[in-house]
Amino acid sequence: MTSVIDHPSAIPHAGPPARRMPLSRSVLSGLVVGLAAAIVTFYICHLVVGPGSVRNTELTLAYVAWGIGFLVGIGATNRPLSWALGRAEPTLELDQDLAGKGQGAWRYFRFTTDHKVVGVQYLVMSMVLLAAGGLAALLIRLEVARPGAKVFSIQTYNTIIGMHGLIMVVATIIMITGSFGNFVVPIMIGARDMAFPRLNALSFWLLFAAVPIFLSAPFFGGFQTGWTAYAPLSVQTALGMDAYSVTILFFVFSTAVAAVNIVVTVATMRAPGMSWVRLPILVWSAVASSTLGLFVMPAFLASQYLVVLDRTLGTGFFVSSQGGSQWLYEHLFWFMGHPEVYVIILPAFAVILEMVPVFTRKPLFAYKVAIGGILGVSGLSVLVWAHHMFLTGWSPTASGPFMLTTELISIPTGLAFLAAIGTIWRGKVWLTLPMLYILAFLWNFVIGGVTGLYLADVPTDVQLHGSLFVTAHFHYTLMGGAVMAFLGGVYYWYPKITGRMYDERLARLQFWLLQIGFNITFLAMFYVGLQGEPRRVGDYANQFATGNAVASVGAAILAVSFLLFWYNLLVSSRRGVRASSNPWKAKTLEWMVPTPVPLENFEEIPVIREGPYEYGYLPTEASLSIEQSSEPESAR
Amino acid sequence: MLKASKEIKVVGVIWVVATVAGVTLAIFAHRLLPGMLPPAASSLAKSQDFTLGLFTVLAVPVAMLVWVVAAYSVITGGSRTMPTDEGPRIHGNFKVQIAWLVSTAALCIGLVVYGLALLPSIYTPSAGRNLVVDVTGQQWQWTFSYPSYGNVTSTTLELPVNVPVTFDVTSRDVTHSFWIPAMGVKVDANSGVVTTAYVVPNLLGSYVVRCAELCGLFHAYMQSPVHVVPMNAFTRWISKRQATNA
Amino acid sequence: MTTASEVTKAPQTRISSVGAASVVAVGLAIVVGFGLFLGRLGNNEPLLKAKIVGRETTSSGVVTLATLDLATYPDSMAGEHGASGGAHPDWVSYGPSTNIWVPANAIVRVTIRNYDSATPLNSAFYASVQGTVGGDALFNGVAASRVNAADVAHTFTIHTYPTAGQPLLDVSVPLPGVAGNAPNAPGSNYPAPSVVTFSFRTGSSGRYVWQCFDPCGGSGYYAGFGGPMQTLGYMAGTLTVGGGNNA
Repeated sequence: MTSVIDHPSAIPHAGPPARRMPLSRSVLSGLVVGLAAAIVTFYICHLVVGPGSVRNTELTLAYVAWGIGFLVGIGATNRPLSWALGRAEPTLELDQDLAGKGQGAWRYFRFTTDHKVVGVQYLVMSMVLLAAGGLAALLIRLEVARPGAKVFSIQTYNTIIGMHGLIMVVATIIMITGSFGNFVVPIMIGARDMAFPRLNALSFWLLFAAVPIFLSAPFFGGFQTGWTAYAPLSVQTALGMDAYSVTILFFVFSTAVAAVNIVVTVATMRAPGMSWVRLPILVWSAVASSTLGLFVMPAFLASQYLVVLDRTLGTGFFVSSQGGSQWLYEHLFWFMGHPEVYVIILPAFAVILEMVPVFTRKPLFAYKVAIGGILGVSGLSVLVWAHHMFLTGWSPTASGPFMLTTELISIPTGLAFLAAIGTIWRGKVWLTLPMLYILAFLWNFVIGGVTGLYLADVPTDVQLHGSLFVTAHFHYTLMGGAVMAFLGGVYYWYPKITGRMYDERLARLQFWLLQIGFNITFLAMFYVGLQGEPRRVGDYANQFATGNAVASVGAAILAVSFLLFWYNLLVSSRRGVRASSNPWKAKTLEWMVPTPVPLENFEEIPVIREGPYEYGYLPTEASLSIEQSSEPESAR
Repeated sequence: MLKASKEIKVVGVIWVVATVAGVTLAIFAHRLLPGMLPPAASSLAKSQDFTLGLFTVLAVPVAMLVWVVAAYSVITGGSRTMPTDEGPRIHGNFKVQIAWLVSTAALCIGLVVYGLALLPSIYTPSAGRNLVVDVTGQQWQWTFSYPSYGNVTSTTLELPVNVPVTFDVTSRDVTHSFWIPAMGVKVDANSGVVTTAYVVPNLLGSYVVRCAELCGLFHAYMQSPVHVVPMNAFTRWISKRQATNA
Repeated sequence: MTTASEVTKAPQTRISSVGAASVVAVGLAIVVGFGLFLGRLGNNEPLLKAKIVGRETTSSGVVTLATLDLATYPDSMAGEHGASGGAHPDWVSYGPSTNIWVPANAIVRVTIRNYDSATPLNSAFYASVQGTVGGDALFNGVAASRVNAADVAHTFTIHTYPTAGQPLLDVSVPLPGVAGNAPNAPGSNYPAPSVVTFSFRTGSSGRYVWQCFDPCGGSGYYAGFGGPMQTLGYMAGTLTVGGGNNA
């Protein structure tokens, strides 16, 4: 903990506007140092390895040098270095400067430790990545709208699907835990900041450093492997693969740093009275998904580290003729890959469950059961990975246990659903934007969950594995589920983050376009998947033409919807009417602090006396005739 | 506002009606959308189509429960203005929670048992002499060899009808996946490993083999024709290939 | 509709629909523009059209007769990438272009001059001639339906199962390599080529791909199939039969 947190009184944020714009320790100095490090490393390696065209050794090292140089340039290493060199202890002023005090909008472009700044940085980064991934998605649907690779070449298409895949995976991993986990969670538990504010900034800037690396992939021939990057294809493919691998190295460090921070913060910095059974669901799921990520993401790092070695040194970890195994890669990848979808979906469940009580004016139904569901999903999720390998040709006897674990995980998932519909039942449903997204989530995620059963059962998976049915299924869970929850969350916390209200009429139009476009796109994709169209093909037989054309029309509607979404948020953040500090009459702590939230959140640390969802009138004898209301979880 | 017991009855009736409608739709979906499923050219494919239908029928009541409860609550209790009063303070209901847990668990376990029971139909060869076909995936074409016919090799897959087939599948380079959508057969082709798949084609006709695992530049074009023909036509084809291969 | 406060007449954020509409229009234009830009980047191989030389009467009627001249080089200095060799001067390549057009319902007589030395095939199957007229090809003037798998430098293989309504085109011809130590021919950067000629029959119009099956991408790539093998414009390309360009 830094001394900022030990300092007793909060410092109101409304200081003088940006009095200086120091270029040092900012994103600009980061870019300069990073680029210089990359260029110098590249040419030194080029001299050492010898003349000729660009090879993956020098490219890989240059990428790593860029990332490290960028972090040094932005000032991530200043404090640890001065501490290591035995310089003077940091003062309160230095800490507040690091937290962005009095720096206005400039603090968003610096190595700033304030958790709210980091939250907004993650939120903007999520939006940028969703936009980039969405652009790639539109290009995909543009190409496959008609049979015949007519718009761009099959080679470009193969790279675009991989770009779309990984960008969206990163975007969905960070969108809730990064944005709301940073902005909201510390306030929800009554803390003044995160436990490790500098690690918090480090996690964001590690991610930031990885983004340009990944976006450079197409300039080096791309990578024709999709986001799963199966070896040995990834060992063989073009130089763009190096960008992919190094991106993962940085990204996994970023998630690890962020996860440790969230877990420690929740474990140690809860306000007095904020017992574990009074924690809002979002806090629980941030802890659960961070812990899960901490366990599984290193497998991704290991797989990419080995791919880098195979590519640069020819080690042959994944090459059968050299004693390696392609199945080793698949195991490592899916050991991360399947829990990772729960890393994405658990916070999404939580955002939904966080909002349901507010907009139905009822306590969360079966709060402890919902937490049990979240923990159950996290636990089981590390045991299901090999259902991606049913058809590798591996031992058939191994398929049984993984079929069991995969089906079992739908039981705790069902508990989260029970909590949602149990809360909506007989509620005073307030049809705001967040509420609409809750309903959309219930519609889409049920379809996504049910279609997962076909893929979990080997007999049907034999047919559907590797087809567009799978693509449609996980888009229903990750986009129809997780992204819908995220968008609902954005509309929910927008007045707290920006202090203004969005244009509700435009937001409703956007909501309906989104739902219609989404369902058109992916129902059509289920259809062509059942027909037998494989995933990831840029050209296909005429029999799939109708379904693909329909899906592409849906994608165009989605594009319109997202454009309206960003336009609304951007314009409203400047010109929207001012929002009160608690426009939804919600009961969690972030709505109890003023808007904009001051630098250290609380003037005085609150003392918690009841659970977070104590909505509703106390039931009378008459209304108790059916519902045997259990005792409220918390004493009042 | 209706009493809770009355509301439960109303919702129950709506749920039953919606479930019946949904199940009916699920059963007749493939008639409404012709061409939704590939032609079932083996008993394996027929059984998969049945399982797809069965799972859909089982999923309908679950989905309808969620949707009907949510829709009912929104329609009866929804408003676009901020509610002036609060909802009932219900923190949970033990019976409902247990009922939910038991029913979802029963459904899941049932699906696992069903899946386990069907596993042998995928992983064991049919009785009788099997025609062995060596399938080799290579960037970006399949080749098919017939070891019992002097390793005759072709880029089209010719199969006699109603004869059990064992596919021995491997790859010369990256991972591919050998898939005949019409027959419900799929197994990965891995370098250095021979994997097997079994099927009895039982419907004359022309189908395709597709690669179902992204394998690089021409993955989209890695597909080959399959012809299921009468035995005598197959023998003729083999002799002709033997002549040209020699 | 009040959201911001309890006051019934609370002000609402309102964004002009003109602004929203123009954002949508500009956004979609950017997407399409970006798509077209990528399309131009990815499809820059010049179209190589087979030369129509006449008509021939066959047992199945009168067909167009066309000729197509191709070459394979040990580098990229002589094909579509120009004398400088483009981005990868040291990659093996086909020339003069990998984007090929041939007429529909025709017999196409192909001549391929190969200037490259041999790399043993991954699969001996591709040492045999498939799907040509007569089932064979002329290798330096000698007719054969198969060559030694170890002598093959490249193959010219049209594959692709057709989409519905497009006839199957299943043609594969091996290209024997020149000797590894052969001296350059006078006035040339390459040795005297080995020459392969064959004919294949096209049906109605359609879109196909062709590729080389010899692992000539270089030992630096797994299975020899990286680099030029996975990049359009080198050892793989497209083949259009007939269509709008039919003469």
